[in-house]
Amino acid sequence: MLNVQDLDVFYGEFQAIDNVALKIEKGQTVIVVGPNGAGKSTLLRTIAGLLPPRRGTISFEGQRIDRMEAYHVVENGISLVPEGGRVFPHLSVLDNLKVGSYNKAARAKAQQWMKRIFELFPVLSNRKTQRAGSLSGGERQMLAIARSLMSQPRLIMLDEPSLGLAPLVVDMVFEFVLTMKQEGYTVLLVEQNANKALKVADYAYLIESGKLVFEGRSEDFDKNPYIKTAYLGI
Amino acid sequence: MVEQIIMALLNGILLGGVLALLAFGLNLIFGVVKIIHMAYGQFVMLGFYFIYFFYTAWHIPLLLSMAMGIVAMGLIGILVQLVIINPLLKAPRLNQLLALASLIIVVENLAQVIWGADYRGIPLTMPIIQFGEIFIRSSFLIAFIGAILTLGLLYLFLNRTYLGLGIRAVAQDLEMAKGVGINPNVIYYLTQATGGALTGLVAAFFIPIYTVHPHFGASFTLMAFVIVVFGGMGNLLGGFASAFIIGIATSVTAVLSSKEIADILALVLFIGMMMIRPQGLFGTES
Amino acid sequence: MQLISKFSRSGLMLLLILLIMLPFLISSSYLTHIVTLILLWSFVATAWAYMARFGMVSLGHGVFLGIGAYFPTLMFNYWGVTPWIGIFVGLVVAIVIAAILGYTCFRFGLLGDYFALVTLAVAEVSALVIMALREITGGSLGYTLRSTGRLADMQFADKRVFYFMALILLIGAMYIWRRIDKSPVRLALTAIEESEIAAASLGVSVIRYKMMITLLSAALTALGGSLYAQYVTYVSPDTIAGVGVSLSVCFKAILGGMFAVLGPFVGSAIIVSLEEYVRISLGTSFLGLSQIIFGVSLLLMIIFMPRGIMGSMSMAVAKRLNRISARH
Repeated sequence: MLNVQDLDVFYGEFQAIDNVALKIEKGQTVIVVGPNGAGKSTLLRTIAGLLPPRRGTISFEGQRIDRMEAYHVVENGISLVPEGGRVFPHLSVLDNLKVGSYNKAARAKAQQWMKRIFELFPVLSNRKTQRAGSLSGGERQMLAIARSLMSQPRLIMLDEPSLGLAPLVVDMVFEFVLTMKQEGYTVLLVEQNANKALKVADYAYLIESGKLVFEGRSEDFDKNPYIKTAYLGI
Repeated sequence: MVEQIIMALLNGILLGGVLALLAFGLNLIFGVVKIIHMAYGQFVMLGFYFIYFFYTAWHIPLLLSMAMGIVAMGLIGILVQLVIINPLLKAPRLNQLLALASLIIVVENLAQVIWGADYRGIPLTMPIIQFGEIFIRSSFLIAFIGAILTLGLLYLFLNRTYLGLGIRAVAQDLEMAKGVGINPNVIYYLTQATGGALTGLVAAFFIPIYTVHPHFGASFTLMAFVIVVFGGMGNLLGGFASAFIIGIATSVTAVLSSKEIADILALVLFIGMMMIRPQGLFGTES
Repeated sequence: MQLISKFSRSGLMLLLILLIMLPFLISSSYLTHIVTLILLWSFVATAWAYMARFGMVSLGHGVFLGIGAYFPTLMFNYWGVTPWIGIFVGLVVAIVIAAILGYTCFRFGLLGDYFALVTLAVAEVSALVIMALREITGGSLGYTLRSTGRLADMQFADKRVFYFMALILLIGAMYIWRRIDKSPVRLALTAIEESEIAAASLGVSVIRYKMMITLLSAALTALGGSLYAQYVTYVSPDTIAGVGVSLSVCFKAILGGMFAVLGPFVGSAIIVSLEEYVRISLGTSFLGLSQIIFGVSLLLMIIFMPRGIMGSMSMAVAKRLNRISARH
């Protein structure tokens, strides 16, 4: 479904992504783990069209998207939940959801979807008219996920959704990831919290300093002695 | 004297409505495109001339001339975005400001070359409404009502439509707005077109009140700036409230002393505000 | 780089000799008048660029021009005080106003476009004050200097005296520019431009250095205003105070390049000549046309050559030289 090949991304002269390749099949949940600053967020932002790659190709459902503007990428069915959620703080919860369905295809079914979203996230339905900026960290993360679902994506990318959240809320976020998986979404998840992420993943990649150093199924990660000591803390 | 002050107060409120409309446009452009539109008041002057031209040279009925003036100014707003702002989107803010300041020179002198330095206007006799010793010009009242209605429509547009939502999203977080599927270029052009059309509308309201000359716009640029800074740059509701405060303050001061003193007062308020509370009277930090 | 400075030094000498000899070579007093105006505006624009090249872009130098122009003129007309003294009164007033303005701006940390906006408002205030005091200043109609023709009143039979005064002032302003370049102040102020925090952590008193440059710039600008008023013997808020003249000074420097010592001179020369050329060839009714050309070229300049004519030229030359030296 998503196919990334030979990807190089630069910030000025600094190379953030170095020759990365990645593949996701429909319905899979794939995770990318790695230390802080390894280029995980950069990878997601590049796929989302927010950063132009210097080299390499990204194709989604057979279509090249690596030269596409971000707003076209969304229309084509990829949606990003950025780090910290980045909801629009001065917009109400309802408007944040509505803005998620900005693209033409999603607009038509926005009402219907809104209903489903409120079933999935009952906590949001109690806060419809509240400003998003006044929500708690966990609620904001839920709103961000809900907003990205409003665009009716086929691939949803989550950037460190558990960052800075209380352990109980982290568990809730991962439950949602499982729910989405059951609903048939394809999920690309970036996490520092490798332990929890590996439990929900079908396939995983490890990135260090912009380079791909390991890939495999969750079991392969569990077996690798280097990863065990460096990331899983076993 | 008391009647005079009451009249000044009323005129301040009525004119405040029109100023609120002007400040709204400036504020919207600042909030969304993130540029300080130095030539905004000059666009009112240009809009005035357009309407004057359509009416006197092409003999188009006045209301239709006004509508055409509004459309023309909307198109000029788009042109400004296309020709001046787009190439400077990533340039330092100061360069954008200086570019728009040079636009003032172009626009004012263009008006001078085309229409000359004389005062021009469309003579209209509008009734005066009288309550005892207090007189209100109906042209002021119409302008006020029109301005408030327009602001109401703009409020609905921003809050009830997808495009309005897009404008608000881009104003808050450009990158995330792109991330949810908003094309910022469309939003920029829409904002500039709206801002431009508003100067045309303000010009239409001014037709029965003022006569125009090439330097007519400068004082409105400054007035709009004073209001926007006073209410907090980018804060639309703050701008609305401060338009009336500034409108009343200058109108009453003008009666008590002189027009110049009133303008000086407004500018001193502006300078003090920029230094002490750049977030504006109603703004919060950040 | 040394090659460039050698080039520019010999160029400067040649220009200087030419300018000294010019009034004696040409018999046309009109041409001398135009060059006098160029020198005067170059002087003011150079003083303006002292601040601008370190990130303090003032759109309010009309205030200092106005003070410099109005004080000696009014003092002479009303009290008979000779402009030789009046000029210094204007100078002191300008410095005091600059000190108050500068200190409050820098204290409250006004930077970049906000600084520009505040100074613009101050310029408008200056014009409004002149209008409000119209009984004394003549308001927007302006005010004409009383003519005596006496040397003691700074009035000369030969107008070329003003030419040389302006030339000496301009050379002085350029000399000060070079001195600033060589002084530690420049390093500190460049650090300011790069990052206020970095400069502060170096232990540099940011505000003190900014103030020094501001006061210097304001004083010289006031001096330019004084000389202008004495030369054309007429002052009005449109020509020598307020927003219009503030912007025109700033644009002269930007066009020529505000980071190069010759930039303000080149910009002033181009703009003054262009205005005169259009005025002569098309008549006063088309005065606006030269301004349109001017405005459009400024726009193009800011978009495509933000470092101005001289800045872009020296950058092109430097690139060339680099390429040549790289080849060896």
